[in-house]
Amino acid sequence: MQKWFSAFDDAIIQRQWRANPSRGRGGVSFTKEADPNVTTGAPPRRPRVPRRACPWREPIRGRREARPGGRGAGGTPGETVRHCSAPEDPIFRFSSLHSYLFPGTIKSRDMSRKRHHLVPETFGVKRRRKRRLVESDPLRGEPGSARAAVSELMQLFPRGLFEDALPPIVLRSQVYSLVPDRTVADRQLKELQEQGEIRIVQLGFDLDAHGIIFTEDYRTRVCDCVLKACDGRPYAGAVQKFLASVLPACGDLSFQQDQMTQTFGFRDSEITHLVNAGVLTVRDAGSWWLAVPGAGRFIKYFVKGRQAVLGMVRKSKYRELLLSELLGRRAPAVVRLGLTYHVHDLIGAQLVD
Amino acid sequence: MLGFLSARQTGLEDPLRLRRAESTRRVLGLELNKDRDVERIHGGGINTLDIEPVEGRYMLSGGSDGVIVLYDLENSSRQSYYTCKAVCSIGRDHPDVHRYSVETVQWYPHDTGMFTSSSFDKTLKVWDTNTLQTADVFNFEETVYSHHMSPVSTKHCLVAVGTRAPKVQLCDLKSGSCSHILQGHRQEILAVSWSPRYDYILATASADSRVKLWDVRRASGCLITLDQHNGKKSQAVESANTAHNGKVNGLCFTSDGLHLLTVGTDNRMRLWNSSNGENTLVNYGKVCNNSKKGLKFTVSCGCSSEFVFVPYGSTIAVYTVYSGEQITMLKGHYKTVDCCVFQSNFQELYSGSRDCNILAWVPSLYEPVPDDDETTTKSQLNPAFEDAWSSSDEEG
Repeated sequence: MQKWFSAFDDAIIQRQWRANPSRGRGGVSFTKEADPNVTTGAPPRRPRVPRRACPWREPIRGRREARPGGRGAGGTPGETVRHCSAPEDPIFRFSSLHSYLFPGTIKSRDMSRKRHHLVPETFGVKRRRKRRLVESDPLRGEPGSARAAVSELMQLFPRGLFEDALPPIVLRSQVYSLVPDRTVADRQLKELQEQGEIRIVQLGFDLDAHGIIFTEDYRTRVCDCVLKACDGRPYAGAVQKFLASVLPACGDLSFQQDQMTQTFGFRDSEITHLVNAGVLTVRDAGSWWLAVPGAGRFIKYFVKGRQAVLGMVRKSKYRELLLSELLGRRAPAVVRLGLTYHVHDLIGAQLVD
Repeated sequence: MLGFLSARQTGLEDPLRLRRAESTRRVLGLELNKDRDVERIHGGGINTLDIEPVEGRYMLSGGSDGVIVLYDLENSSRQSYYTCKAVCSIGRDHPDVHRYSVETVQWYPHDTGMFTSSSFDKTLKVWDTNTLQTADVFNFEETVYSHHMSPVSTKHCLVAVGTRAPKVQLCDLKSGSCSHILQGHRQEILAVSWSPRYDYILATASADSRVKLWDVRRASGCLITLDQHNGKKSQAVESANTAHNGKVNGLCFTSDGLHLLTVGTDNRMRLWNSSNGENTLVNYGKVCNNSKKGLKFTVSCGCSSEFVFVPYGSTIAVYTVYSGEQITMLKGHYKTVDCCVFQSNFQELYSGSRDCNILAWVPSLYEPVPDDDETTTKSQLNPAFEDAWSSSDEEG
């Protein structure tokens, strides 16, 4: 009997809460006063929400409209500002920040405040989101789609640096930083891969890092660069055959021995030529990854640049930096691919918070 | 909520819908509650927890000191403040206690008369709960990382054991010896799990980054090796398929057995379709995993969108299974969390960590909402703290 009454009371409280969300914060009233006092000498309050509202998008992409604060800390004044903190002690940062902003609160209270925002959402107040999408510009495709993200990121790639020998490469983690829902991003990238618009390539330094290249770019550059490099040598024929027959047929990242020999009719010597030309990289006995010839330089610059940008964040005071400040700083000489390029990658790969 | 009730009453909706909606709401409200406690018995970190599937009343815990404790979770006192007491324990003074750390404990799936425990001392022991004596001991050549007995099977009593050797051993409880061995992995087996849907399907995860699905009746080898890139399937390919880019630490089937979740030391969690081995590409983001041995995580049961509770450092991360969204991080432990179990009858979560504590996460009921902010602050002030000074500027 007691349980039943509490369920009804529950319902009444729910209704009250929905009518007036600010009341639901219970007895922890002093935090409201504490907040403006706290910000006097301190960095502006950051919306410490795991990865929901992405207000940081403002500085890089001015065209995007900021989504509402959504869950958790929503409606904060500092919405255009985002902190990047290094990952060394993520748990330490979290707990110290909470006690800093909300002195005296018990941690569980904090969690319950976040959770109460989620509860009505399960029971369907999703109409708000749908309306927002309709307002977007239909010419660019949906602003949240992976395709738009990839096109925008391709603009960031420094073509001049490689003298047009490399097609513009974008990383999967960069797409995650622009498309908030990772599952959706993955699925859309998979669709694009199946349609043949992009190729996904395994970059050697990290098994998780996948490079994304538009198929036409890949084809033109590989043709140009390989043919230039090996005119007259036996590679050229094998590479041409590969580009013509295998690329359009098989959209995977990797190729297997029997697939190459039986389905496409490559001989072992031809496969060796392909590996020498840089189009395939060895993965295991009898299986190969698709590769971009000449990508070694790109990978070298990328790894060095990534470490340098991470280092910049790590060395700063309290190990956090405002995004605008990070972008405003002069890039060290090691960073050849551009600060924005690396920042997108770091955010998407969750190496910074 | 009232809408659900009236719809159910008039027959407009399935009765299960109300139950699922309420379970989901309760899971979303999980938090630490000062009224609920679990008695602290262990002197070392807690490696494994298991709640019996029959009633959901008793919980076993295994610690790194080799101690196994049995708790009663039911609140039979009329008060809201309740400590889950230990009913009995197999302590260091017991003659048959494990010599090293206990890695996995599991209740016998059909009743609470028996449970099994495996440990780093290379044994799997079968215990009788009422007398707390070992009924049987299986010895292996290498340390045992994990074992599991099928929760649905009535046709066989096989316990799958994963050890440091690359072969999975199947021990038969009826005959008391190892009945067969599954070969295929190349390094130690860190986690094994039977499917909750089919009697004979077993999933094993190993440090060589592979997850294999087996039908134990089949002599020739595994059914599928999961491939994270969803490449083309062919015989020759199997050797190159990896499920993760690092060791695969934990396995959990969803409660309907149709999907399989795996976590690996590459800080990723993946959801697989268990019938064809396809990676569903649900992306949970970075799921930190530094565990050198198995990680025991769990999935909720009976909610409208299932949730997965994964130990993430010293917190527990809660994600929705099919969309990959992170709901929250449950903070409360002081050190790394090693295991967690979900009690589906009351939607409670119990987690054990290296700080020797088991925490109970209970759905929070409503907080009392104050009528008006000003009146409560005034009335809350204890008369002992009120000062006798007047607030006016004039003196005296």
